[in-house]
Amino acid sequence: MGEGARIHVTDHTFYLAMSYAATAVAIAAELVGLRLRRARALRGIEEERDLEAQD
Amino acid sequence: MNLFYFSSPATFYRLAGWLAPWFFALGAAFTLAGLYIALVVAPTDAQQGEVYRVIFIHVPAAWMSMFLYFVMACYGGLSLTFNTRLAAMMARAIAPTGAMFTFVALWTGAFWGRPTWGTYWVWDARITSELVLLFLYFGFIALSNAFEDPRRGDRAASLLALIGLVNLPIIYFSVLWWNTLHQGSSVSFKGTSMHVSMLWGMLLVAFGFWMYGIGAALTRVRTIILERERRTLWVRELEFT
Repeated sequence: MGEGARIHVTDHTFYLAMSYAATAVAIAAELVGLRLRRARALRGIEEERDLEAQD
Repeated sequence: MNLFYFSSPATFYRLAGWLAPWFFALGAAFTLAGLYIALVVAPTDAQQGEVYRVIFIHVPAAWMSMFLYFVMACYGGLSLTFNTRLAAMMARAIAPTGAMFTFVALWTGAFWGRPTWGTYWVWDARITSELVLLFLYFGFIALSNAFEDPRRGDRAASLLALIGLVNLPIIYFSVLWWNTLHQGSSVSFKGTSMHVSMLWGMLLVAFGFWMYGIGAALTRVRTIILERERRTLWVRELEFT
């Protein structure tokens, strides 16, 4: 087996890292999104409460 | 106990808040245990070398992408049949997590395909039908948010989810129906061709993803309930910490 072919078969780190890192980023992004959306919903409710209190 | 008791958004909001952290904890525990087996215990594959370890994420993510779509469509069907608010909210809550797992399945598949097949992408029946699943998730999310009246969005998106169900058997059986580059199943109800440690690693990660998916859906549905019910008395009286 030539050197180029040997590197092609054994150099797996990039593909593994890209797969595992992308999965971690996707899950982290979803969790951040969940927190941000909840914070936005709570802020909207608080604003409505403030408006009611002023009336 | 009357199960319809939990179909009230006010009751389910509290139940989901209590359950979600447990599902996240279980998800983390099972995923970490599975990844330990996947990256430390499982032997190197005789043909693919180390790159085969991508499948410990790829296969569970692909399973979850199909399973979550099925559950989402069931909630959509419930919503259309019984006109229940909570079922429609659950369908909405599941969609982004299902889309995320579908993306992960496609992405990791590409990074497994490059060193093993020599290409990141091929218009193969299995891969193409999985891409269609991602577009179905996007379509569901877009359609559910396309109407000013959220109930109309619920009905339209639920209908799309039910029609899209036809794609699930196409994904699953594509490797049998067509001559695909994607290989057939290594795991089935009849048995497996994998080493036992590889199988356990994959099953643990799959179970972890499943628990995570439930935790994420429960967390998201709580926010959707707050958004939809913000003018109701019970939400106004809620104490937020």
